[in-house]
Amino acid sequence: MIEAELAGIIIMLIGFYGLMSKRNLIKIVLSINIVSIGLVLFFVGMGYREGASAPIMPREIVADPLPAALMLTTLVVDVAITALALTIILRMRREAA
Amino acid sequence: MIPLLVALPLLFAFLLVLVDILVRSRRYKARLTPALYLLGSLLPWSVLLASCRDMPLDEMVGGWTRAGGIEVALDGYSFYFILGTVILFSAVSLYTIGRFRAGKEYSVILLMEAGVLGAFISRDLFNYYIYMEIASVSAFVLTALSDEKGAKKAAFRYLIFSLTASYLFIFALGIIYLKTGYLNLELVRQNAVPSKEISTAVGIAFSALLLKAGIFPLHFWLPDAHSKASTPASALLSGVVVKVSVYGMILLLYALPVTAALRRALLIVAFASIFAGIVGALSQRNAKRLLAYSTVSQLGYILLGISSGSIYGAIYYSFAHMLFKGGLFLGIGSLADAQGTKNLDELSYRGSRGATATVVLLSLALTGTAPFVGAYGKKLILAHLTGIGSFLFYTAALGTMAYAVKLNYHLAAPGRRGSIRTAVPLTLAALTLAFGLYLNPVLNPMDWLLLILALGMFLTLRKTLSGLKPFSFRPAEEFGREINMHMTIFFLFVLGMMLIQRLQ
Repeated sequence: MIEAELAGIIIMLIGFYGLMSKRNLIKIVLSINIVSIGLVLFFVGMGYREGASAPIMPREIVADPLPAALMLTTLVVDVAITALALTIILRMRREAA
Repeated sequence: MIPLLVALPLLFAFLLVLVDILVRSRRYKARLTPALYLLGSLLPWSVLLASCRDMPLDEMVGGWTRAGGIEVALDGYSFYFILGTVILFSAVSLYTIGRFRAGKEYSVILLMEAGVLGAFISRDLFNYYIYMEIASVSAFVLTALSDEKGAKKAAFRYLIFSLTASYLFIFALGIIYLKTGYLNLELVRQNAVPSKEISTAVGIAFSALLLKAGIFPLHFWLPDAHSKASTPASALLSGVVVKVSVYGMILLLYALPVTAALRRALLIVAFASIFAGIVGALSQRNAKRLLAYSTVSQLGYILLGISSGSIYGAIYYSFAHMLFKGGLFLGIGSLADAQGTKNLDELSYRGSRGATATVVLLSLALTGTAPFVGAYGKKLILAHLTGIGSFLFYTAALGTMAYAVKLNYHLAAPGRRGSIRTAVPLTLAALTLAFGLYLNPVLNPMDWLLLILALGMFLTLRKTLSGLKPFSFRPAEEFGREINMHMTIFFLFVLGMMLIQRLQ
């Protein structure tokens, strides 16, 4: 089975492919979102440990909570910027019309 | 104490939005909004003045341990960045009072101030990224809010590239965390061992920050965004926001082993950026675009300081650039707003003595002439260069003077008239002289010699220069296609920065 980190990097590369080849502005924004999803997977995979449990009620082996916490912050930034990008696209169309 | 520097503008940004939504009475709103705005942008002074005596300061937010908390600091690395930011934001806030329609624009400026100050105090790589992102998002919004034609497009381009660079930067942080187990700067420094993974991460992180700083092969978003934003916004974008990435590079350099090959590559990129910016500035007819290309060139100087090992040179030059480029954008921007044009052939400062003094003084500061503030940083950087490096450095100084002369030559010619208020940019011009005298009170005859040489060169080549087409590189007509092309250039650059470190 493929590791989560590697899968994350592959998904990021798919996003980069979209950024380099899609002309449609909405598809460009979606490609950026794909990059961010790959990134989140990469980080969450980083914190994973074989047979570990969630670090809520500490047992012997727990997963590293920090990458997940960092990604929570990044996801918030993603949502804000995606909304902003889509708004700017709408305004651009209005300007062109 | 130090986190208050960030918390105060953030709090007042929030209050401004609340007032904008909740207060119905127009009269109260018109009184409350400017008061809250000024408080938010000026209160960081009190924190800075109260704590600058005890420098260097170092603090863990919330009193956690270093491994578990977020570290902030006010010391030799961050002080001049913070001082420049607070000065420029105060200037811009005094300049903008009463100029915006809605409270939201004021609150975006305060958010930007919080973001920039937060990035400058942080000694934790992820915390630095988050605050840099707050500053960037405010920058996108301010660019998009401009009424000028094409500003939305410029904002979109800025957003897409800046965001892609941010993701690459976090990816690099992920690798650093994986290899060292920490994101705190000091702990990363203690635990980082040179390895393939670390050098790859450093290459990616540097490329991402170079894009966000608008350094030459990755500058494609900068001229449009900086020239099409409104006058106060372009002063902040060019003066402060690009410096956040410079600070990031300094943090990386402090904490991680940087290979000699990467340093050499950065040195080459720095010189390329200096000269590309000069060529771009010399060929422009639009005054604000000229200043935007000048930013590309000046950030090359700062990168030169970073890559040649003169960190303090880079810091002092960043501080100088904050003051004079902020002042120039405010001065020339208000001239352009009053006269209704940005075309250098039509713009003129003849009608206003204040504007003449402002632009002439700030242009001298831009060229790095000795009693002005830029001279000290340049001196420190030059001390780290040898042989061909210092020769190129003097050639670049000549080029910088040539476009400064060009700017003044066109503005001194008779043109349109319009009354303008120049108190704020003139104060910034006086500050460039005052800080220059404080840091480095010597006269350097070499500067004036070069200046006369540049003047002569410009006057003889004037005809050829005015025949030059404005230099701009558009790989494709269609907007989406253009983004694809520039993205490809960016990814090739990142790959290059990763692979160049394998060649020893």
